[in-house]
Amino acid sequence: MEYIKYLTAPLIIGLITAVLAAFISVVDRIVNNYGDVKIDINNGKKELVVKGGAPLLHLLSSQKIFLPSACGGRGSCGACKCRVTSDVGPHLPTEIPYLDRDEIEQNIRLSCQVKVKKDIAIEIPEALFNVKEFNARVEKIADVTHDIKEVLMDIGDEDITFEAGMYVQLVIPSYGKIRGTTQRAYSMSSRPSDKHHIELLVRLVPGGIATTYVHEHLKEGDSIRVIGPFGEFRRTDTSAAMICVAGGSGMAPFKSILYDMYEKGDTERDVWYFFGARTEKDMFYLDELFDLDSRWEKFHFVPALSEPQGEAGWKGETGIITDVLDIYLKRKVGPDVEKEGYLCGSPGMIDACNKVMTQNGIPLEKIYYDKFA
Amino acid sequence: MKMSPEYKKTQENMAAGIITASGFLGDDKRTLSDIIEDDEELMRHYNLDYDKVAEKLEYFLEKGKKGLGEHVSVDREWLVRTEEARGHLPCPFGDGLQRKITCEIIHEEIGEKLLFSTFSLHLFREHHFHQGKGSPFRIEPSVLKKVLKL
Repeated sequence: MEYIKYLTAPLIIGLITAVLAAFISVVDRIVNNYGDVKIDINNGKKELVVKGGAPLLHLLSSQKIFLPSACGGRGSCGACKCRVTSDVGPHLPTEIPYLDRDEIEQNIRLSCQVKVKKDIAIEIPEALFNVKEFNARVEKIADVTHDIKEVLMDIGDEDITFEAGMYVQLVIPSYGKIRGTTQRAYSMSSRPSDKHHIELLVRLVPGGIATTYVHEHLKEGDSIRVIGPFGEFRRTDTSAAMICVAGGSGMAPFKSILYDMYEKGDTERDVWYFFGARTEKDMFYLDELFDLDSRWEKFHFVPALSEPQGEAGWKGETGIITDVLDIYLKRKVGPDVEKEGYLCGSPGMIDACNKVMTQNGIPLEKIYYDKFA
Repeated sequence: MKMSPEYKKTQENMAAGIITASGFLGDDKRTLSDIIEDDEELMRHYNLDYDKVAEKLEYFLEKGKKGLGEHVSVDREWLVRTEEARGHLPCPFGDGLQRKITCEIIHEEIGEKLLFSTFSLHLFREHHFHQGKGSPFRIEPSVLKKVLKL
């Protein structure tokens, strides 16, 4: 009976702990039960009834309304912005770094950080109603360079309607040590006329979760979730000369735009396409783009190598792409021609090209890009 | 070494799926304070100074920016690629947000490479945290010594 004496205290503590845990659980269910809440989108255009208490981003996606998000709701990309027109309290410290003063004044919020506890009214771009989630099957994966893969996905009976230049988000499943799903944005390189396929160019980023998955785990025949289309990067319908600049996987939207233009006979405006790579092993699609150049009178393809390794028969330019761009804008395109800039690349590349283009008379508001890198 | 409550909280923030999907600890089962203490010991062993290494890494990061997302040769010995991703990440130690710029340094002759980011550089310089073994952005002292030729 001696042991009962030693067990009494732990048993009592255990019992008290269990009672407290049950009490907290009951209180939590009562206090944190927000019941059904209404989400009014675009002043009555759409109304959703959802269970409250979760972040706005997740509640919207549960109802098949997808806002762009590159981090899957971790609050680290700042992409899932929307305007909240009802009262949801002040901006959180986690939102402030991603918003400028105008956005704060207009009550733009990061939807992943706004917990919906009562009825809420929001405004989102109408185009987002067109965004769908696809269960795609990987039809083909091809190496276009040593670190860029061309991934062709079949979306079966579903169809995707988009304008050339837009992007989708690839939903990377949990793999290896990576917990939870991760979303990353990739411009589509496929043509809008092919409504049953989505093609992407994915460059391996060292340590990158999504690109490592695509390069080392994804196989032909696999299924993968894709959400889209997103983005405002597209050609205008003016007659201004298009000055396009890209490097690496930044080729993707231009492949889509250029072939879409050619296919539709939209070939009356001048298009200059500057594509930069370090060496010839980083270059790709050369033959087909030179072929397009020869068939389309107003299309001018200008590939450039920044550090050529003495490759024999190199038909392009040499030098950093911004230097080549500067020379062409001054000497070949000409200062009097009305121009628009189109860019796809890292924020650093975009900043550098913005500088060269504005110095050569292209107004900043006529330089277009999606700065998602 | 005993873990303070702050370090315990920080180590929780470093797990996969909290701040980043892959986390900061890799396969390392050691406590945060042990990881830091062991790496400080390794830095002394290799005669490496945190501030001087951080300066050198920043030098490569800036040089790499000139490649605009492509590799660029630096000082005829290294191949460097600096790439910026969208957004910021909160420091697991709770001192602010860091941009997501990654930099890969390859020493061409020996074929060794080092990968770091502005974020891992902050953790290295300010907190002497190199990240756990197996983390893709771990700054391994022996690799620093070889790749940077220090």
